[in-house]
Parts: sequence; C-alpha cells; structure tokens
Amino acid sequence: MVTMLLSRGDIIEIVGVSKSYVSEGREIKVLEDISFSVGKEFVSIIGPSGCGKSTLLRIIAGVEKPDSGKVIFHLSRKPTIGFVFQFPTLLPWMTVLDNVILPLIASGVQKSRAIEKARTTLKIVGLSEFEDFYPSELSGGMKQRVNIARALAVEPDILLMDEPFSNLDPLTAESLRGEVLDIWLSSILPIKSIIMVTHNVEEAVLMSDRVIILSPRPARVLKIVDIMVPRPRTRKMPEVQELVDKVYEYVS
Amino acid sequence: MVPFKLILELILSTLLSLGRMFTAYVLSLIIAVVTGVAMAKNKYIESILLPILDILQSIPILGFFPAVLAIFITILGPVTGGEISSIFLIVTSQVWNMIFGVYSSIKSLDPSIDQLISVYKLPLIYRLLYIYIPASRSSLAANSIISWAGGWFFLTSAEVISMGRIEYRLKGLGSFIISAFENRDTVAYTIGLLTLFTIILVSYLIIWNPFTMRYTGVKTLLGFMRIYGVIEKAFARIWSLIIEKLIMAYSVIRGKIIVIQLYFLIPLILLYLYHTKLTLMTNNLYSEITKYGVEFLWALPLTLIRVYSTVIVGLVLSILLAYISHTRFKLGVLIVMLGEILSSIPAMMWWPILLPILRGFPYGVMMFVYLQGSLWYTFFNILLFGVSSLKENILELSKIYGIRGRYYLLRVFIPSLLPSILAGGLSASGGAWNASIAAEYFQVGGFIVDMGGVGSLLYKQTLAGDILGVLLTSFLMSLVIIFINKTVWARVLKKISGYYVIE
Repeated sequence: MVTMLLSRGDIIEIVGVSKSYVSEGREIKVLEDISFSVGKEFVSIIGPSGCGKSTLLRIIAGVEKPDSGKVIFHLSRKPTIGFVFQFPTLLPWMTVLDNVILPLIASGVQKSRAIEKARTTLKIVGLSEFEDFYPSELSGGMKQRVNIARALAVEPDILLMDEPFSNLDPLTAESLRGEVLDIWLSSILPIKSIIMVTHNVEEAVLMSDRVIILSPRPARVLKIVDIMVPRPRTRKMPEVQELVDKVYEYVS
Repeated sequence: MVPFKLILELILSTLLSLGRMFTAYVLSLIIAVVTGVAMAKNKYIESILLPILDILQSIPILGFFPAVLAIFITILGPVTGGEISSIFLIVTSQVWNMIFGVYSSIKSLDPSIDQLISVYKLPLIYRLLYIYIPASRSSLAANSIISWAGGWFFLTSAEVISMGRIEYRLKGLGSFIISAFENRDTVAYTIGLLTLFTIILVSYLIIWNPFTMRYTGVKTLLGFMRIYGVIEKAFARIWSLIIEKLIMAYSVIRGKIIVIQLYFLIPLILLYLYHTKLTLMTNNLYSEITKYGVEFLWALPLTLIRVYSTVIVGLVLSILLAYISHTRFKLGVLIVMLGEILSSIPAMMWWPILLPILRGFPYGVMMFVYLQGSLWYTFFNILLFGVSSLKENILELSKIYGIRGRYYLLRVFIPSLLPSILAGGLSASGGAWNASIAAEYFQVGGFIVDMGGVGSLLYKQTLAGDILGVLLTSFLMSLVIIFINKTVWARVLKKISGYYVIE
C-alpha cells in the first residue's frame, strides 16, 4: 500500500471549481470552491443525491465549463477521456460493435483499427459473442458492459464513471464491480486514474483508494477518506465495515 | 387493340411523373432533415421557424401556386420553370409533416445521447449520419405514407398548370389522363388510370408499407416484406457509400463545414416584384385592400362552416373505421390499404365519376372534394398510429372487467386515441382550408359551379391572374387560421394532454 501512495503523483488537479445554474429566474449554486487532486488511483466521489456530483464529473470531462476555478491535467498531452454513463446510452439502430467504435471513428481512427480496438475491449467485458447484436437484444447488465467497453475502447488516460452500477440489479452490479476492478488492477489498459461518482457508500469503500465526500447543495468537499485496506476486499472485513461507518457519518 | 404509340407515350409519361415524384420526395427528405435538426437543436431557429411552419402547413398552397409559378416561369422560362414549379408544388404538399416528424423525434431523443455527443465530441456530420437521421427513421417512415399520397394527389395540379388564360402542360401521367379525358379518348383514359392505380398500389406494397411496419409499431398494413428487404439492402449499400464519401469529404475539409439552408424563395419573390413594377399598384393600394377585405369577410362564414364540418365528419368517420379495424384485424388491413389508394388519387381524376351526380347535387360534390383533401389526415393518424398505440394493459383491463360496447367506445377506445385524434384534426383542418379552393368553384367541360366562399374567391382571383388579390386573400385566410389554431386548438390540446396521457 505504501508503494501505491508513493507512486501517486498528481494527474488531475481540481482547483477552486464553482458552478451555479439559473432555473426559473433563480440562481442555484451547485458547486462551491471544490479543490482536490487525483493521482494514479481510483477515487470515488460520494454525496447526497442532487448535490452536483455529476456536474463535477462533466466539468472534469470538459463538457461543462466551471464559473470559476479550473481543472488541470498533468500529462504530456491532451488527456483521452473515457466516460461510463449512468444509463447505457446506446444507439438502438446500431449493433454493439458499431456503438463501441463510434467515438473512435469520430476522432479520426481508421475503421479497421477502430474495430480491432473495439473487439479487444468487448472481449475484456465478455461480450465477444455479441458484437452483431442490437441493444434491444441485450439484458440491462450487458448493455452497461457495452457502455464500459465503449469507454475503454478509446484507451483512456482517465476513466470517468457516473453512478455506473446504480441502475442494475444487485447481483449484476456486484459482478460488474468486480470486473471493473480487475481491469483496473490488471493494468492491461493504460488508464491512469478512475473517478467514479456514486451514492453507494459500501461500493465506494470496496472499490476505491480514496473517497471524497461532498456536502449537500451547494457541494463542498467535506472530507477525504483514505481507504488503505488491501485488495481483494469484502464486506465482512472489519476494516471495511469501520470505514463504511465512518463515511456514513459524514454523508448523513 | 391499344396502339403502340399510345403505350410508348404512357410509359414515357409514367417515367417522367415518377421522376418528379422521386425528386420531390428526396428534396423533401433533405429539407425535412436539415430543417428538423436545426429546429430541434437550435433555440433561435426553433423560435423563428416553428410558427412559420405552422402557418405554411395550413395555408392553401394551391392559392400561392400561381404566384410561385409566375416567378419561376418569368425567371427561368416555361420549360425549366414549369418543371421546377411542379416539383416545388409536390414538395409543398409533402414536406411539412416530415419536418415536424424529424423535429419531434430529435426533440424526444434521450438527453443522455446529448451527453454522449459532447463527451466524445462527435462532429456535426457524425451526429447527422449516425444519430439524427437514424433517430428520425421511424417518424420519417410513418410520415412518408401520408406524404407520398399527398404527392400523387397534387400530381395533376402540378402537371397541368394554368396561369390566367395561359396553360402549361408538362408531359406526365397526370396530364396524360387529363388530356385523354378532355379528348374523350376512353382507351387512353382507362389505361392511364389503371397505370396510376398500379403504380400507387405497388409503391405502397413494396416500399412504404413494409418500411413503416419495420420501423414503427404499426401492424395493420399490407406489404411484401421480402421484396422490400432486397430494396432496403440495395438502398443500405448506396447509403453506406454516401456516408463513406461524406466522411471522406469531411476529413478533407474538417471544421470548415457550413450548412447551407435553401431559403431561396425570398430573394426570388423580391426579384419578381421588382420585375412586375409594383409601383403601378401602390397608387390605389388602399382602396384595393379595402375592396379585397370586404369580399373576404363576406365569403368567410360560408367557408368556416364548411371547413369545420368537414373536419368533424372526417373525425367521426375515421373513429368509426378505426373501431371496426380494431375489432376485426383483417378488415382493418383492407380498410387501410383502400385508404392508401383512395387518398392518392388526384382530385381531378374523380370528375368523370362525379359528373353525372354533379348536375343534380353540387353541394354533395363540394363536400366530397373537401373530404378528399382533409379526411386522410385523420384517417391515417387514427387508423395507423392511434390504433397501434393502444396499450395492451388497457385492453386487458377492459377484457377482464368486461368493459364492452358503447361504454368501451366512449370511455376506453376514444380517450386512448385522443393524441392522434387531435394531431390528425389539426392537419385535417389545414387540409380542408387548402381543399376549399378546389371544392368551392369548379369547372368541368363547360359546366361551372360556384358555391361561394373564400376558396371560390381565391380560385376566381387565380383565374383572373389577380396576383395581388390572391396574395391578400391568402394572407387574410392565414390570419384566420392562425387565430383559430392558437385559440381553439391550442386550448383543447392543453386541456386534454393533461388528462389523457396514459402511462
């Protein structure tokens, strides 16, 4: 674990990010002066629903602009970002394979090369057999796997996940969590950091290296908890239970 | 024995008409996709175009036709100008509902797809080819059935163009049939009509019906899926080739793409007005306007009553037919197929059948023409999309609790259809206004019937080549239509949409 800490080194730095929305003439402040940094690690962001976790994730993805503050990437080039959406967000008129290659060919990758990459990640998530299927022919868990495969296919430096397991049945969610962790730990892909937004405390403790706890709206960083429990972790481990209780205290 | 020359003439005419229909349909598709996407994705364009399209959809296009025609012919000459005007007219008869179809399907696209687009920074061309066009596929399929019928319906008007006393005839199936009828050439008339029927029937059976069945939930259609499969495969091949080329072109001119909207009409109209030296008219413009206004007000009540009774008759008829086709599936398929053919038969083709009745009962003939121009909107909306959107669980509930007969019709069936009844009713009133021109004044072989009303007024102004009159009367008519749509329809729609959304 100590080696993990030493090799952390900042990859993403979030500095004083604030964001408000105007809704029906009233300004609603969602994020207030959020600062933290993320190294070579798996970080979870947790907080009550509607606190702006997903907005923060979109700001990190560069899809939304913060009102003030900034997101800095310490990489030699513009980071490639993979994004796992809360809902599978698959285009129903495209096969699994076509869905996965879409971001690749849109960014100028040659089709044959894109297909090659897509097949690799489909294999990782165990869907090799299903590349010619249409989304409507897949189960909820399989669709979410395609969502993950699409995010991995771009060979991301940073993987962002927006409540990726919240809409799955408990059993499917459990096995997918394991798979994502395996991919992350096996380092078969060049992912440097994972940031996952969740409202599931247990999930955050079981999966990540650090948990960032946000306050209710407007969200501020309440507390950052290091999870220094060796993997594989299980619910039954006393350290895990202790940390879950600790995080719960801050969340509620 | 049918002479060889006649057959040759017929084949040539048919090909020319098909060419016009096809060109107009492709143009409509392009306009619908570009405009629909622009409206759904850009708030400013939406706020400007939505009300404009609302008007264009419900004003009498036939009324504007002479003006448009004059513009094209003055500028481009009779051959090119005539051809362009005829395609233009067919486009105006089919494009509006297609635009609204694209617009609403992109509007109702899952918001997470927008996230996907922004996270992976999909360029416009990819969004169009991989997301917006496929997303509109089912609504385009559904609307194509109505639009294709609308195109055929206007075909004769588009091929036999009269401008005051001058008449232009384009070679085509529509003008072929009309000429045969006028020359009392029974053989030519019969084979012309038969060809028309066959082409309409075949185009539905092998293209539109299977297309609609594949991409929407509609089941009550007759179609040859296997032949369609072959056609679709060929089309898909061409389509993927187009995509490939477009994307290649895009990668060459990356980032320099400008979408050009073809609103070419406005400069053309200005040019024409300059051409005709509008100054001559402005001298006594004020008294002219008053004169036209008074004429319009006198004619208005007659047409108002006719238009809205037509809509009501159409609604009642469609709901009854929908009930029949809902209770007897096979009969329903037959009714829809019959509707597809009847709705495609151009207005003028009915005259030979109607002529004998005409002498005794002109009022009935007028209402028939009104219905022909309006009924089909309610018919297709309710019979195709209303009936197939009936919820399985509601039907089951009715079965379990034994809800039957009148109670079922009034409390379950009609309320379930309300969204499509309203959508159809709105388009049907537009269609009825449009039909008023053909319905209230007609001239068949020296026999003239003038029933009065705004339509008759417009038609007479058209005949007299009174362009200012046509424009002013159409303008006043549009004002009335917008007023009614914004007050009556909008209110009914708002009230009903609150109650009858079945989840």
